[in-house]
Amino acid sequence: MLTASGLHHSYGARKVLRDVSLTVRVGERIAIVGENGAGKTTLMRICARLLAPDAGTLEIDGRVGYCPQIPGLHDLLTPDEHLALFSPALGLTREQGIARGRELLAEFGFPGGDHGAQIRHLSGGCQQKLNLTLALLGGARLLLLDEPYQGFDHGSYMNFWDHVARWSRQGIAVIVVTHMLADLDLVDRVVSLTPVHEEVGG
Amino acid sequence: MSDVSAATTHATRARALVRRHWAEHVLLPAEMAGRELARRRGALGLLTLLPLAFYAASRADSDYAPVLGGIAMAFSISGAAIFCVMSSRRLDSRLVLSGYRPRELMIGRLLLLESLGTLVALVFAGVIVLGSNPADPGELFSGVFLVTLCAVPFGLAVGALVPSELESVLILIGVVGVQLTLSPSNPVAKFLPFWGAQRLLDQAGGGAGPTTWPIVVAFLYAAGLFVIACWAVNRRYANVR
Repeated sequence: MLTASGLHHSYGARKVLRDVSLTVRVGERIAIVGENGAGKTTLMRICARLLAPDAGTLEIDGRVGYCPQIPGLHDLLTPDEHLALFSPALGLTREQGIARGRELLAEFGFPGGDHGAQIRHLSGGCQQKLNLTLALLGGARLLLLDEPYQGFDHGSYMNFWDHVARWSRQGIAVIVVTHMLADLDLVDRVVSLTPVHEEVGG
Repeated sequence: MSDVSAATTHATRARALVRRHWAEHVLLPAEMAGRELARRRGALGLLTLLPLAFYAASRADSDYAPVLGGIAMAFSISGAAIFCVMSSRRLDSRLVLSGYRPRELMIGRLLLLESLGTLVALVFAGVIVLGSNPADPGELFSGVFLVTLCAVPFGLAVGALVPSELESVLILIGVVGVQLTLSPSNPVAKFLPFWGAQRLLDQAGGGAGPTTWPIVVAFLYAAGLFVIACWAVNRRYANVR
């Protein structure tokens, strides 16, 4: 599903990833843990192909769904408008995208009356549910979820892990960045990143 | 005959597919950007008022007021374009990851902002014609439209190339500000993006000079800036595609 080997990445003089390798199989659930600055988000962005590594190779088989830590949604658009915007790129009509998105949002406990509300009027948890839904909308085979449940209430959080188990059974591989130790029992494998205390050329 | 008929059907289907792709991948992002912009009523008000304020402030004691007001339109229209690109960066990366081409997003914004800018230009040109009674209203309208033509790709290019909003706005103020302070005959002014528009606006007040060359320069500048904007976003997301 995903094979990354020998990944290196630096931001200026600050080295963030050094020789990181990762293999993800179909339906596998992986947690990525590590201190702040250990390169978790950088690794996710590289795996999503949003960031080119300085060195190393990456091979991915199938569509990737990426849920970033910061949603970056448009404050003045509604959830339905976001779903419509993503739909054609994912091979869906606007109507199909909105219908499918609403189903996913309902599964995460998104309030039914908020589909037409502007993002700025939604709670952080509801924004995060939309963020997660946009990652799932296209039927991805590999999900890259960077702390996807920020702002979720307890029920939604537990519900999220039920979904992860279901996706795994459907053959969808899931990588979750997490800081919560309780999550580690809910995955097949834990990948721990440690900060690189070395500057480039230092 | 049947071969001709099959070829015609094939061509019709191909055209329908291109139209559908265009509508979904270019016009839909433009529609959403338009919806967002339409909900920023304060910003839209300022977009229209800013060039009018420049014009009104200089009208009483300067024949150069139409030029000042016209070029000042670039502040608001380029500013809107910069904002449109920079506020969308986070979501754009996900849209490209989903399957949009970066240039499709840029073309959508270009169409939206050129349409909006043309509306502002129409209002603004009407006000100047009524307020200043220019010798050649045709050149005035052309000059104002050339400002819009160049201001949108200029804003898109700056927004795509520059990492943060502060630097982008400072570049905008710098370029437009320098263009405002220079006479169109100044050699430096000829290398700035709004020279063609400035030249026509200046001539509209009664000056004489060629009109074709400034128009050609403005079109070339606009095309060049848009190519740069597309190149910048393609480069940013080169790894995704």
